[in-house]
Amino acid sequence: MSTQDKNDSSPQINRRSFITTAATASAALAFARPAKLFGATVAPSDVLNVALVGIGAQGRVLLDDTLKIPGVRFVAICDIWDYNRQYAEKYLKKFGHTVKSYRDYEDMLAQEKDIQAVIVATPDFLHAPISIAAMKAGKDVYCEKMMSNTIEGAKSMVRSMKETGRLLQIGHQRRSNPRYLVAKNRLLGEANLLGKITTANGQWNRAVSEDLGWPNRAAIPKATLAKYGYDDMHQFRNWRWFKKFGGGPLSDLGAHQIDIFNWFFGGPPVSVSADGGNDHYSNHEWFDNAMVIYKYNTPQGVARAFYQVQTTTSAGGYFEQFMGIEGTLRMSENPKYTAIYREANARDWEPWIRRNFLKAQAAPAPDPSADAVVDARETAALATFDLPVILNKPAHQPHLENFFNSIRGKATLNCPADEAFNSEIAIFKACEAVLTGKKIEITAEDLKI
Amino acid sequence: MSSSHNQPYDTSGQTWAFLTLRIWLGARTLLAGLEKFSEKITTQQPLLDANGAPDSSGAVVEVSKKVYGISHYHGIPEVLKTKFLDEPLLPQFLTTPFYAVLGYALVILGAALLLGIWTRLSLVLIGLLYTMLMLGLLLIHQEDGVAWLAIHAVLIANALLLSKHNRFSITRK
Repeated sequence: MSTQDKNDSSPQINRRSFITTAATASAALAFARPAKLFGATVAPSDVLNVALVGIGAQGRVLLDDTLKIPGVRFVAICDIWDYNRQYAEKYLKKFGHTVKSYRDYEDMLAQEKDIQAVIVATPDFLHAPISIAAMKAGKDVYCEKMMSNTIEGAKSMVRSMKETGRLLQIGHQRRSNPRYLVAKNRLLGEANLLGKITTANGQWNRAVSEDLGWPNRAAIPKATLAKYGYDDMHQFRNWRWFKKFGGGPLSDLGAHQIDIFNWFFGGPPVSVSADGGNDHYSNHEWFDNAMVIYKYNTPQGVARAFYQVQTTTSAGGYFEQFMGIEGTLRMSENPKYTAIYREANARDWEPWIRRNFLKAQAAPAPDPSADAVVDARETAALATFDLPVILNKPAHQPHLENFFNSIRGKATLNCPADEAFNSEIAIFKACEAVLTGKKIEITAEDLKI
Repeated sequence: MSSSHNQPYDTSGQTWAFLTLRIWLGARTLLAGLEKFSEKITTQQPLLDANGAPDSSGAVVEVSKKVYGISHYHGIPEVLKTKFLDEPLLPQFLTTPFYAVLGYALVILGAALLLGIWTRLSLVLIGLLYTMLMLGLLLIHQEDGVAWLAIHAVLIANALLLSKHNRFSITRK
C-alpha cells in the first residue's frame, strides 16, 4: 500500500489545460521566497526533519506553506506518481532541501529514521494506514481532512494517537486561523455578541467542472495502478468521486464548514436529516448536491444548522453563518464573505468596536425604493460590521505552525484527531442520511472510540 | 487688531451679519483646504485582550485613522482627476498647477478671512476659486456640486455687499 495524488479544492483542471497549468504554477512558484532553515528565532536543535506523503494539489499547498515556516527541513517525499515526485524534488531543490524520493511510504518509514514529522496529503482512504504507520514509527503526523473514508478508519487513527502518544493534527486549518479564533473566543465567547444562537447555516457551492486529466506521457502503468487499488488513470485522478477512495462533496467541501459548526457549538450534532443526488454528473459514484439539517444541543439550548454543498453552481460561495437573537456572524476563510450584523434590539456594541473586535461599515446609500412598504412585518435592515482581524499568511500556514510548535512543546494542537472525529461522525452520518433518506440520531455509541 | 475704526459702532446688526458670513466662509474655506492635507490610513496592530496584552490567538487587526500632513496632500480626489483628464477644455498644463496650489490657497485665504486680513480681497479670491471649481464640475455634469458651489457664491456676494461693516479685523480692507 502506498500513496497517491490528492487533488483538493483548488481550481480543477482538465486534460487540455493540465500541462499549461502545471507549467504556469511551476514558473510562479519559482519566485516564491524560501524560509530560512536556521532563522533568528529557531535554534538549530529546533529544526524539524519532515516528510511529505502525497504531492497532489493539496500536498503542494502544504509543501509551499511549510517552506515559509522557519526551522522545518524536508528530507523525504513520497508519491506513487513519478510525475509528482519529480515535481517536488526539483521544487524543493530550489529552496535548498535535498530530499530522498519514495514510491512506497513503508519503505520511506523503514529507511528514514531521522524524520520527526510526516505530512499526509493522499486520497482519504490512505490517511489511516499511513498516519498509523507513521505514528507507530515514532513520528508526529499532520494529516489532511477527512481523516478517513470510513468511520472505523477514523476511529483507528484516534486509537493509534492515544496508544502511541504521538501528535496527530487533522488539517481543519480554520481552527488556527486568528480570524476564526477571535470570532469564537472573543465575539461569541467573551462578548457574547449574538446572544442565544438558535440557527446556523453554511455552504460551499462550486461551479460545474470537467473531470481532472493527466499528461499522456506521464500516465501510470495499468499494473501499478491496479497494485494500489485503481482501475485506471481517470479513477486515480478523480478519486474524490469514488466511494472506495473518498467521501464525496460533503466530505471534501462540507468538512470545512461542518467542522466549524461543531467547533463553535462545542460538540457534534445529535441528529441529522438530509437529501441529495446525482443531479448533473452521470459518471460519479458520489452525489453532486446535498442539503443537510443538523440538530445541536448546546449549553444555550437547541440550535439547528442547515448546510448545503452544490457542485453544479457556485452561487453564494462558501461561508458559515451563526444566527443569534442579538446578531448574526457570517464567517468565511475568504474575508470578503465575512460580516457581523447587529439586530436593532441588541445591546450596545460600542465597547467592542473600541477594542477593535469590530469595525463599523460605512452606512449604505439610501435605497430609493425604501419608501415602498413591502410588508409591515419586515424587520429593519441590520447594521453591518467587519471583523478587522487579518491573516498575513497563506490559510494553511498557521495550522502547520501550530503543529510544528506543538512538536517543539511550545503549543498544543488546535485540531487533534479525537476532536476532529466529532466532525468525521457528523459528515459520515450526513452521507448516510442522504443515501437512506432517513433522519439519523447520533448517539454516544457512535462517538465511542 | 484694529477694532477702533473711524466709523461708529454699527448697532443695526449688519456688523454681526457680516461677521457671521466672514466666520462661516472663513472656516469653510480653511477646513476645505486642511482636508486636502488629510488621509485615512490603515495600520496593523496586535489585538489586545481585556488586560491590554496581545490576544492569545496572535491576531492582528487593521485599524484606520485619519492623519494630516503635507505628505498626504491631494488637490482633488483621484476620481475627479480621472474624469477631468477626459475633458478637452481642461488641459493638463492648467489643471496640474491648479491641483498643486488649491489646498494651500484655500488654507491661506480661509485663515486670512477668519483673521480679517485683506478681507474683501480674500472674499473675491475665494469667490474666484469656487468659480473655477464650479467650471470643472459643470463640464463633468455634476449638477449637485454646481448647485452647492452656487450657494457659496451667493454667500460670498452677500458678504461683499456687507463688507463695509467689517469689524474685528487685522487689516482695514
